[in-house]
Amino acid sequence: MTIYLVSVATLLVVILLVGLARLIRGPSNADRMLAAQLFGTVGVGVLLLLAEAYSQAALLDAALTLALLAPMTLLAFIRLSGARQ
Amino acid sequence: MSALAFATVLLTAVGLFFYIAGVVGLLRFPNVYCRLHALTKADNLGLGMIALGLLLQVDSPFEGLRLLLIWILVMAASAFSCYLVANYVREGPGNDCD
Amino acid sequence: MIVIDVVLAIGVLALAWTSLSGENLFRSIVLFVSFGLLVTMVWARLGAVDVAIAEAAIGAGITGALLLACWRRLQASRPDPGGGAADVQ
Repeated sequence: MTIYLVSVATLLVVILLVGLARLIRGPSNADRMLAAQLFGTVGVGVLLLLAEAYSQAALLDAALTLALLAPMTLLAFIRLSGARQ
Repeated sequence: MSALAFATVLLTAVGLFFYIAGVVGLLRFPNVYCRLHALTKADNLGLGMIALGLLLQVDSPFEGLRLLLIWILVMAASAFSCYLVANYVREGPGNDCD
Repeated sequence: MIVIDVVLAIGVLALAWTSLSGENLFRSIVLFVSFGLLVTMVWARLGAVDVAIAEAAIGAGITGALLLACWRRLQASRPDPGGGAADVQ
């Protein structure tokens, strides 16, 4: 079971790296923020899988922190660049 | 392999499929709104299926509660942020392509 | 087991390189946030859970918001090259 869960986590990291193409290519800043948002979700998934695979419940706290704070960047982006002057 | 382990394998595989679908959509769809659509599928269903699959393997009920909390939190965050991004693209500075 | 370590190492190196070598400032900021995310996974894989929590909070949350605020200030202070919302290149 551990090997299976770590394999799923590995595949998730691989598709994160594939999704990097959208982040690099753009074309708009909103696209880049969307890619970063997807990376945040993938990161939470990987941390959950690693927590279960190595039975380290403390990694769930890291996933919780990530889930809470990953949208902060997006909120800052919307708040800062969406403000009409 | 017990039925529980089989269910975990099945659910995490479905979650992985949704993640892959989300990334493929992010790479292939033509504009921001379509990409937003693909992204929310990965957010809600991908992580949801993985959390559900791992829920069958937890040792203590507190751990399962934290898994559910993470899932609900990510769903709420993705709903809010996708609304904000769509609103930003529709009404904001608009064309910020480079 | 070692596959995930190799993939993470390649990913961290690729993200570090692309975030430092690009010309578009906004792209570099988003890449840096993603770099922090990957480093979180590296810490988790190394067994340093507390560091992973700190990295998740600082790298993915605070630094991104601060850098974006900085980017916004830079954009506002530059002479506008026509058309309200051009990127800082």
